[in-house]
Amino acid sequence: MARSRTSSSVLFPLRHLAGLALLAGGALLGGNAHGAAEGTEGRTPHVSARLVAAADAVAPGERVTVGLAKRITPGWHTYWRNPGDSGLATQVHWQLPAGAAAGPLQWPAPERQALGPVVNYGYAGEVTLLAEFTAPADARPGDVLDIAARAEWLVCSEVCIPEQLDLNLSLPVAETTRTTAHSAITAARARLPQPAPWPARYSRDAHGLQLAVDSGALPAGRGEAWFFPYEWGVIDHAAAQPAQTGSDGLRLTLAPGPLGGDAGPAVLEGVLVIGDGSGATRAYELHAPLGTAASAATPAPPAVGLATALGFALLGGLILNLMPCVFPVLAMKVIALVRHGHGGRDHAARHGLAYLGGVLASFAALAAVVLALQAGGARLGWGFQFQSPLFVLFAAWLLFAVGLNLSGVFMVGGSLAGVGQSLTERGGYAGSFFTGVLAALVATPCTAPFMGVAIGFAMTQPPASLLSVFLALGLGLALPFVVLTLQPALLGRLPKPGLWMLRLKQALAFPMYAAAAWLVWVLALQTGADGLPLALGGMVAIALAAWLHEAARHAAPRIRRTARLGGTALLAATLVAASSLQPAAVPQTHSATAAPASLLPLETYSGTRLAALRAEGRPVFVNFTAAWCITCLVNERVALERPEVAAAFAAREVAYLKGDWTNQDAGITAVLNAHGRSGVPLYLYYPAGAGATPVVLPQLLTADIVLQAIAPPPG
Amino acid sequence: MKPSPFVSRLTTAAILAAGLLTGAALAAPQVGQPAPTFSATTADGNTLDLQSLRGRTVVLEWTNHDCPFVRKHYRTGNMQATQLAATSQGAVWLQIISSAPGTQGHVDGATALRLNSERRADRISHVVLDPDGKVGRLYGAQVTPHMYVIDAAGTLVYMGGIDSIPSANDGDLANATNYVRATLTALQAGQPVPNPVTRAYGCTVKYGS
Repeated sequence: MARSRTSSSVLFPLRHLAGLALLAGGALLGGNAHGAAEGTEGRTPHVSARLVAAADAVAPGERVTVGLAKRITPGWHTYWRNPGDSGLATQVHWQLPAGAAAGPLQWPAPERQALGPVVNYGYAGEVTLLAEFTAPADARPGDVLDIAARAEWLVCSEVCIPEQLDLNLSLPVAETTRTTAHSAITAARARLPQPAPWPARYSRDAHGLQLAVDSGALPAGRGEAWFFPYEWGVIDHAAAQPAQTGSDGLRLTLAPGPLGGDAGPAVLEGVLVIGDGSGATRAYELHAPLGTAASAATPAPPAVGLATALGFALLGGLILNLMPCVFPVLAMKVIALVRHGHGGRDHAARHGLAYLGGVLASFAALAAVVLALQAGGARLGWGFQFQSPLFVLFAAWLLFAVGLNLSGVFMVGGSLAGVGQSLTERGGYAGSFFTGVLAALVATPCTAPFMGVAIGFAMTQPPASLLSVFLALGLGLALPFVVLTLQPALLGRLPKPGLWMLRLKQALAFPMYAAAAWLVWVLALQTGADGLPLALGGMVAIALAAWLHEAARHAAPRIRRTARLGGTALLAATLVAASSLQPAAVPQTHSATAAPASLLPLETYSGTRLAALRAEGRPVFVNFTAAWCITCLVNERVALERPEVAAAFAAREVAYLKGDWTNQDAGITAVLNAHGRSGVPLYLYYPAGAGATPVVLPQLLTADIVLQAIAPPPG
Repeated sequence: MKPSPFVSRLTTAAILAAGLLTGAALAAPQVGQPAPTFSATTADGNTLDLQSLRGRTVVLEWTNHDCPFVRKHYRTGNMQATQLAATSQGAVWLQIISSAPGTQGHVDGATALRLNSERRADRISHVVLDPDGKVGRLYGAQVTPHMYVIDAAGTLVYMGGIDSIPSANDGDLANATNYVRATLTALQAGQPVPNPVTRAYGCTVKYGS
C-alpha cells in the first residue's frame, strides 16, 4: 500500500495518483523477472518508489539486502547523504516486526547537480538506496514479514518539494533464504563505492586541501576524477577540483568550505569517482587522514640524503652556539672552563665529556619522545615540546631554579665553606652533565641555519636515522666546548679563578631569570591569564624551598630535617598543582601575531586567505612564527619590522600573512612539511601571479635579504 | 586585532575576485571577518546601506515565500517569533529576496510587503530586493532560508541554517535548536557564538544566470 503526502504548494489529487500508481503496477521499476520480493509502488508528484528485496524468502535470523528504489521524474533529482550546498538527504524510517533490524543506508555514488552557483550531490533518474535487513530469529517458516518504511526526500528541479511516502514489503519466511537478483538492487550495488585499495591522505596548503591518492599510474584514457566528501562544509562543493596524475597516483586540489579551515577534520572521508574516459565510472570510498601531501604547485622539498643531513645537523649544532638561546649557558661554560682549566688537562677533558654526555643524552631523549609520539600518529616539528604548556611551565621553573642557584640562594651538594673552593673542586661531573642538559633545553627554541633541512629530513626517517641526526646536532652543539677542554695551550692562558668568577656567576643569574620570565609570557599566551597564578606561585614556592634548604644547612640536625622536609613538601605540592594546568579554551593564537606597533599591515595566515590574495594577483609574504621561537622574534625585529621593508611592502602591495605556531596547528605543520621543514621560522614569498613558485627565504633574515626577495626580477 | 579598513576592503575585493575566478561559484564570507557591505533597494523604494546600521546587530534572512522550508517557518510562526526576539533586543532584521525575475519567489516591493503583512511578520525592519542576486552572491547565500548575523562592530558572527533539524516537517521544530536565537542570546550575553557556521537547509536560491 502506498500513501502519498506532500507539503508542496502544488497539490495533486492524491487519490487519483495512488490509483494510477496501482495501475502502473510492475511496469515501473520493472526487470524483476526472477520473482524477488518487492512492495507496491507509491507515487508522489515527482518520484515513484517502492521497497525491494534481493530475495524471495528469508530464513529466521538471516540477512538479506533490501532497498528503497526510486524513479525520479526527468529534470528532477533527490539527494545523497551529503546533499551539498542545498538539498536534503533522503531519509528512511523503518517500521519493522519485533526482532527484525535494518542496517544503515548504503548510498550509490552520487552525481553533481549545479543550479546557478549552487552545487548539490544527488541522483537523477533511477536510484536505489540499500540496507541490510535481518529477519527476527524467532520468525517461523510460513510467516510473512511486513517491512514498512516511511521515506522522506526533497526533490528539486528549479524548485524544491519535500515529499514522503509510506511503503511496505511482504517478505515470506522460509527454512532457507532464497536470494534472487532484483535489477534495482543489482544496479545499485554496481554503483556502490568500493573501499579504495590505495592509501590516501590530505593536507592543507596555500592552494587549499590537497587530497593525495597513492593509486599508482591510472589506466590511460582516464576521464575526470571527482571527490564527494561525506561531511558538509569541509570543501567548497561548487569549486573545481583540479587533478594531477602521475606515476605515483592522483592528486586533487580541493577548495576548503566554511568548515574546512585550520580546524578541519582529522580525516577526510568520502567517495572518489573516477571516470574511465568512456562514460563509465568507478567509485571508491576514501579515508584520507591529515598527512603530508606535497602540493602540486609547491616544489618538492629539497632532496637530502642521510650523509648531507648529518653534516647539516652538525653544522647547525655548531652555529646554534652563537644563537641567543644558548648564550647564557655558553657563559656558564666559560666559567666552568676556567674552573676546570686549573684542575689539570685530564680533569678538564673529563668535564668536557660529561658536558657532551649531558647534551647527547638530552637529544637522545628528545628523539625518543619524537619517535614515541610519531608512533602514536602525532605530527611534530622542531621545538614541538614548547607547544605543551606543561613543558613551558617546567622549563620556566627550571631556569628560575638555576637562576637562584647562580644567585647563591642555595647550593647543590657540597658545602658553603667557600665559593672559591666550590669553584675549583675536583668532582662535580654531575654539574657538567647538567650544564649539557640545560644547553640542550635552552637550544630548542632556537633554529640555526642548516638545521631546518636536517631536522625536516630526520622527521620523515626511520628511528635509526632520526636518532643519528639528532645526535649529530647535539655533537655540533657540544663540540666547541669539548674541543676547548682538550686545548692545553688555551687552558694555560685562562685567567686565575677569583672573586670575578663569583660576580660573573651572579650576573649570569639574570639571563636565567629573563628566560624564565619570557617562558611565563609564552605560557600566558597558551593558557591565558589562568596559568599565571600557578607559574608565579610555583616560583615563590621554589624560592622559599631553596631558601629553607640553604638556611637549614648550618642549623641543628632536627631543625635541618624539619626545614628540608618542609621544602620538599612545598616542591611536591607545586608539582601536583602543575598537573591542574589547562590550555585556554580559546588559545590566544593571535597574540604572537598581534605585534602592538607593527609597521606592516599584517593578517592572520590561513590557506584560504593566501589563496584569495594570490587569486587577486597580489604578491604575498608569509611568516610562520611562534612566541617561543627566539629566532623568529629576532628576525622580526632586525629584518621585518623595519621602515624600509614596510615601505617596500607598501610600494609593491605585498600582502603580509603571519601564521602562529605557538600552539599546535596541523595546518601550519603541513605547510612546513611541504617545504621540507619541521619547525619555525619559515618565510615564504609568493610573487604575484597565481602560478608563481614561492621563494623560501633563509632562517636568519636581514632587511636586505627580504628586500632582495621581493624586488622584481632583473630585466 | 581589529582589521584596518584597508584590510576589510581587501577582504571584500578578494571575495569578489574569488567569485569571478571560480566562475559561477559562490564565495562565502568568513565568520569573524568584517561582513561584506552592500547598498540595495528596499521594498518601500528606499536605498539601504548596510554600513548605516553599524552599531546595531543585523540579521539577514534570505527568503522565497513559495519555498516549502520558508513556508514551514512562517506557517508555524517560528520565523515571526525569531524576528520578534531579535528586534526586541534592538537588532535590525533584513529580509532579502534574491530570486531572479521569472523564478520562484520573485516579487515586487508591494507584494513582498503584502506577503509579510498576511503572514503577520510585522517585525521585519526592511525587505531588500535583490533580483540580480548581487547581495546573495556577495554573502554566498545558497538556500532559503539562509541566515546571517552581523554584530554591532560589523563582524559576521553567524552564517547557516535557521535551526538544527533540516526538514520541512512542522513537527521537527519542537526538537530543533534555533541557531539564530542562540547567536543573538550569546551576543547579548557577550559570549562566544556557540555554532558560528552551520549547514543551511532549504530551497536553492533562484539566482538568474
